[in-house]
Amino acid sequence: MSGLLGEPAAARAPSSTWRSLTRRPELVTLLLIVALSLTIGLINDRFFSVQNGVDLLRSSIRTGIFALGVLTVLAAGGIDVSFTAIGVFALYVTTKLTMSVWPDAPFALMALASLAIGLGLGLVNGLIVYRFRVPSLIVTIGTQYVYRGALLAFVGTAYITDLPRAMDAFGRATLLQTTTADGIRVSLPAAFLVLVAVALLTWYVLRRTLLGRAVYAVGGSLPIAERLGFNVGRVLLFVFGYAGLLAGLGGLVHGAMNRQANPFDLVGSELDIIAAVVLGGARVTGGTGSVPGTLLGVVLVVIINNSLILMGVPSTWQKVVIGAIILVASGIFARRSATA
Amino acid sequence: MTHDSSTPTAPSTGEVLLRLTDVTKTFGGVQALRGVSLDLHAGEVYHLLGENGSGKSTLIKIISGAQPPSGGTITVRGRTYRRLRALDALEAGIETVYQDLSLFPNLSVAENVALSSQLVRGGGRLARPLDPAEVRRVASEALTRVGLPTSEDFLDTAVDELPIAVRQLVAIARSTVIRASLVIMDEPTAALTQREVENLIGIVDRLRADGVSVLFVTHKLDEAYRIGGNLVVLRDGQKVAQGRLADHTKAEVAYLMTGQTLDRTTYRAGSPQEEILLEVSGLTRRGAFSDVSFTLRRGEVLGVTGLLDSGRNELAHALSGVRPADAGKMRVGGRDARLRSPRDAIDLGVGYVPEDRLTEGLFLEKSIRENMIVSVLDRLLGRARTLSAERAERLAGDLVRDLRVATPNVELPVQSLSGGNQQRVLVARWLATRPRVLILHGPTMGVDVGSKDALYRLVQDLAQRGLGVLIVSDDLPELLMNCDRVLVMRHGRVAREFSVPGLDEATLTRELLDDRPLAPSPAPPGGLLAAAPEKGGD
Repeated sequence: MSGLLGEPAAARAPSSTWRSLTRRPELVTLLLIVALSLTIGLINDRFFSVQNGVDLLRSSIRTGIFALGVLTVLAAGGIDVSFTAIGVFALYVTTKLTMSVWPDAPFALMALASLAIGLGLGLVNGLIVYRFRVPSLIVTIGTQYVYRGALLAFVGTAYITDLPRAMDAFGRATLLQTTTADGIRVSLPAAFLVLVAVALLTWYVLRRTLLGRAVYAVGGSLPIAERLGFNVGRVLLFVFGYAGLLAGLGGLVHGAMNRQANPFDLVGSELDIIAAVVLGGARVTGGTGSVPGTLLGVVLVVIINNSLILMGVPSTWQKVVIGAIILVASGIFARRSATA
Repeated sequence: MTHDSSTPTAPSTGEVLLRLTDVTKTFGGVQALRGVSLDLHAGEVYHLLGENGSGKSTLIKIISGAQPPSGGTITVRGRTYRRLRALDALEAGIETVYQDLSLFPNLSVAENVALSSQLVRGGGRLARPLDPAEVRRVASEALTRVGLPTSEDFLDTAVDELPIAVRQLVAIARSTVIRASLVIMDEPTAALTQREVENLIGIVDRLRADGVSVLFVTHKLDEAYRIGGNLVVLRDGQKVAQGRLADHTKAEVAYLMTGQTLDRTTYRAGSPQEEILLEVSGLTRRGAFSDVSFTLRRGEVLGVTGLLDSGRNELAHALSGVRPADAGKMRVGGRDARLRSPRDAIDLGVGYVPEDRLTEGLFLEKSIRENMIVSVLDRLLGRARTLSAERAERLAGDLVRDLRVATPNVELPVQSLSGGNQQRVLVARWLATRPRVLILHGPTMGVDVGSKDALYRLVQDLAQRGLGVLIVSDDLPELLMNCDRVLVMRHGRVAREFSVPGLDEATLTRELLDDRPLAPSPAPPGGLLAAAPEKGGD
């Protein structure tokens, strides 16, 4: 009989590991990052250099800002593929407008303009999704075409490399600067602070306000949220508006760091960013995902994009690796929901 | 504020909490409610009784603000509304425990319990900070009230990790967070076993003692009588009776609900034949049930019952191939059978009507015809291996006639049917596979009295035709009325087998609950608090 009693206890031990993975899917992401870093580091020890570390952080800025917006939409059970179009729209319009009206405008004002454009376009998404109850994937595929088409047709198709002074200065501003042993100057751009601020804000809103919990509630079940008196329209307007807002910001930061406003930029990279959010533990079906998880997912995707080259993996293979990791991770996530 | 004329019919001394005046509701062309007027008094228990389609659900949706009425008014605490919003209802202290529980599967227990109260506190405004410590405190208080644990681990557990009975209690805990004046419970006992029902009755008593009114929506007359209080009977969207429950006999109430008298005590008419259709020996699935053996004969109706954690549900799943057993033998029709999937079961002639017909069994938006033929598509192939519409139609037509499904057209979606008729569509699908053995899992959960009657007749008819029928259910009267034998399961084993003639409900109940408290058993998962924290851990 004692064997019988021992059995469930033995069966419980591994399941508690599963349980912690269930509750903290970002641990899976972290494990993947560690495993990948060790592998790359073993093959090429330059991976663990200061220079590479700073490079990774620098590359995370743009992806991170966008990803936090995508997280908010995914948490509410929606999806947004128009954010890159919003980002480039806000960047290009703001830059062109500033150059023609007031080239010496302060950066804060430009940022404000870019944020407002992003917010406006995001709210259009939210309004259509809520008013007409159209699946957000369809809506944002549509608006992606519209926003990008309108930009190219009505605003312009020429690269702007002569940037407003304040924007240029922001792009060059650095937070940390050192020179490595072999004489290479590495610097972390000040724009990194933008990502930090956005992450803190998003975390606060999602975790510590009723609105944030309502976002997850709607993502868990929209009809139930409605029945319990949550204003679902507000929630949807918020998530799409917020994703648009961050897209506007991300677009401008991207332009400043690359020192150009290119109307053909960004669109096409939305899957990389959505992949980062999903790898960070957010389910496409909604109601889950966290800010730390998303940031880890961003780091993971950035490592794959930037560092596989250090391993001698040709750049054409990077997409295969991202795809494979998504498949492995989603397999793990699927198993955890099956055992829950 | 106007003085309403007092209501002479009300026996209660409490003030009028809620008044419906001539409330109507139409959906498209269908009249769901035809002028219902109703007073509910403070500190009273009401049972809203009626068959499926009588308007019960619509009525509570209107009271809780989930749907606006088409006509009439709702007066809550002296304020009259033409249209009550969900938030208005919450602010007035009207709390609803929906049949589907309306919990957010992805949110924690603490948030599920406490969020709506935070919403009400801010008047519906979302842009306000939320203090997690406050959420936990509010949730802990409410959980204590319904006897659930309040450990950090439990508060943080996502609701979709909890067994259904615990979810039910979480939903009830939520309804007590706001200083409620009226708690509506829509079929709260549908997923509960008798012991859990007792717990619920205790909670209701405490609410009543606090001056809170409770409105039950239910099919189960026995439970209504156990709880006591008042009854409100709806039929065809109209209120046909209101008064003290004690003033009416069960037969009268059944008559009020259905408009017909029902006083059958047993449905079982035939007797089993010699041939053994299903033989199970030593069937085991680790952590769920072990060493289950029994036989089922041609023309026999066998019942299986047990508490929620007894393994009865898991046994039904194993026998139907949904979640196969990992040890033991099954012989179907005299041949060894290994079930690895529901398809294997179908091929062997074992049909399975799942417990939750809505989520597990039917494609609600698809037509009656499509639902009926979906398991036998390969038999309906015509030339060029494409589906023969003609044969499909003929089969569906036959089944509709055979099972007396009340519908003008087999092309209508299944969701247009009442609950009892949906059940028949599901049974029809299995009959189309020409099964030898039919497993009915909780066949009358959420089914009204009239449909139950029809379903029981159908079961007997099937047995008469030579099927072996296995009913897995916690509805004891149902088993006593329909079966030849009943197996009682406890802790994953068959504790005892009864022969039904001469058996009474009390004996069965005793056997179900025997040695129940304190048993330090190797409890299978799915026990009442399986997802609650394990103390210490061995």
